[in-house]
Amino acid sequence: MQAKLTFQKSVLTAIAAVFTLLALFPLAWVMIAGFKEKTEVLSTPFRFFPKQWLVTNYMDILKDAAFQKAMLTTFGGAILFAVLSILVNASAAYVFARLEFRFKAIMWLYVIITMFIPGMAILLTSFIVVNKLHMLDTFAVLVLPGVASAGAMFFIRQFYLNIPLALEEAALIDGAGKIRIFTSVFLPMSYPVFVIIGIGSYLGYWNSFVWPTMTITNPDLYQIMQYLATFRSERSTEMGMLMAGSTLSALPTIVLFLIFQKYIISGIKISGLK
Amino acid sequence: MFKKNYRQDNGVAYLLLAPIVILLTIFVVIPFFYSLKVSFYNWSFYQPSVFVGFDNFKFVLEDDLFLNSVWVGIKFTLMVVPASMVVSFLFANVIKGMRRGSASFVKTSIYIPTIISGIVASVIFVFIYDYMGGLANYVLGWFGSEPRAWLADVKTALPSIAVPAIWLGFGLTTLIMLAGLHDIPESYYEAADLEGAGPWQKMLYITVPLMKNIVLYLTVTGFTGAISQYELSLVMTGGGPLDTTTTPNLYILNHFRNDVMVGNSIAASLLLFVVLGSISAIIFKVLNSEKAIDG
Repeated sequence: MQAKLTFQKSVLTAIAAVFTLLALFPLAWVMIAGFKEKTEVLSTPFRFFPKQWLVTNYMDILKDAAFQKAMLTTFGGAILFAVLSILVNASAAYVFARLEFRFKAIMWLYVIITMFIPGMAILLTSFIVVNKLHMLDTFAVLVLPGVASAGAMFFIRQFYLNIPLALEEAALIDGAGKIRIFTSVFLPMSYPVFVIIGIGSYLGYWNSFVWPTMTITNPDLYQIMQYLATFRSERSTEMGMLMAGSTLSALPTIVLFLIFQKYIISGIKISGLK
Repeated sequence: MFKKNYRQDNGVAYLLLAPIVILLTIFVVIPFFYSLKVSFYNWSFYQPSVFVGFDNFKFVLEDDLFLNSVWVGIKFTLMVVPASMVVSFLFANVIKGMRRGSASFVKTSIYIPTIISGIVASVIFVFIYDYMGGLANYVLGWFGSEPRAWLADVKTALPSIAVPAIWLGFGLTTLIMLAGLHDIPESYYEAADLEGAGPWQKMLYITVPLMKNIVLYLTVTGFTGAISQYELSLVMTGGGPLDTTTTPNLYILNHFRNDVMVGNSIAASLLLFVVLGSISAIIFKVLNSEKAIDG
């Protein structure tokens, strides 16, 4: 019996190892291809490791002014986007979870209904709207349109519904107003849910491609995915650099994910699925 | 729920709601009604628009390319969703049986592809499918097969795009399944052990039935996600060869970029909206009703 169990365990571990390798392989391959000479990336026969480890691709792409700018503006934009989306959606979530006010039902419906409008249905008309607002080729066009999200608001609200009323009562007795209760009771408790919404928004911004491509024509404001796609079509022979650039573009996200992964994985449990 | 004489907080409520309401109005609601309007017009950037009633919808529904794109979307979904469900389910079971430390390492590793963008995934997989130096043909070579032009062949293009789609999504699916597995009380399995049930029986009679809701949820969200996918085909094949990878959203996007007849593609996107919007409304209803208890 014992022997059979250990056998089962090792089979399971072997399967897990294979899956994990399969999941990580494409990324590892790009990362390592970044160390190859450009002619070696697609050399036949296929080789996983480079003949010679070169850092020139990574150095060259890091020195590329357009790449630097794209990384920095995308990172700044993504952080700003995440912070704004937390603030805007958490305030609304608090209002819907805890306050009573006139037209609450109508307001709730108005906000929630936007969740069911797919981006593609409004892509072009959104473009026309931001054009009329003279927002094209500005930072605002990248950040503002996606900030308010009924989905994120709903997610935070579910979390707020589970915060016991008793916690508020002490503050109420001390005479704190509703805003004060929000900032001193709810916000400090929201850390786990904010990490999830923050990373989600950050990712959405960092990985977006079509919207920046439509609204940004000034190369100074190019976002990182737009930069990579342009690089691929315009400098297709520089494969090593493209690999190095792709790796570096994923790096900030992976680092953020590793820092916060504990919350993200536990966040799956509070995402309303149980 | 709240007492009748509960003090109302109209001022504070509207103040805190103002940002979300204003932003949603400008960037979602107005564009949506604008789309509705445009779908009834023969609209273009360059000419005055003409009211055409339902002509755009009729045109789209009779357009072979649009119908083809819907068919492509369905085929793509049928490749991606069942495959990632089965793989995720089995893998979630494997992780559940592992020790804590190694389980958390595996969980972190499989989640990493999920945070990679569709663009980076496309770049990676275009090289994997490369005719001369790509990994796919190299592996095929072990079995003595001729190299294939994966992305340029009508037969293999769509499955080739399904693979990165599965790769991008399976981490999250697995973790959601794992969360579900952990919620099944251990005592059920112990009872089954006493009755002498084998591992397959336990899976069939305990795990599968108790995971029904999660599987349903993942199927429906997986379906809407897969049928709206367009980035992979946009970058990897541009929709070719012969439109075999043109998903509905890519059809719409291509028409936005190339046509003067904007009304048609907006009509197409609204038609999809009706279908996808109703599906997500149903999911939402199901989720919200369970949660409403503690509300």
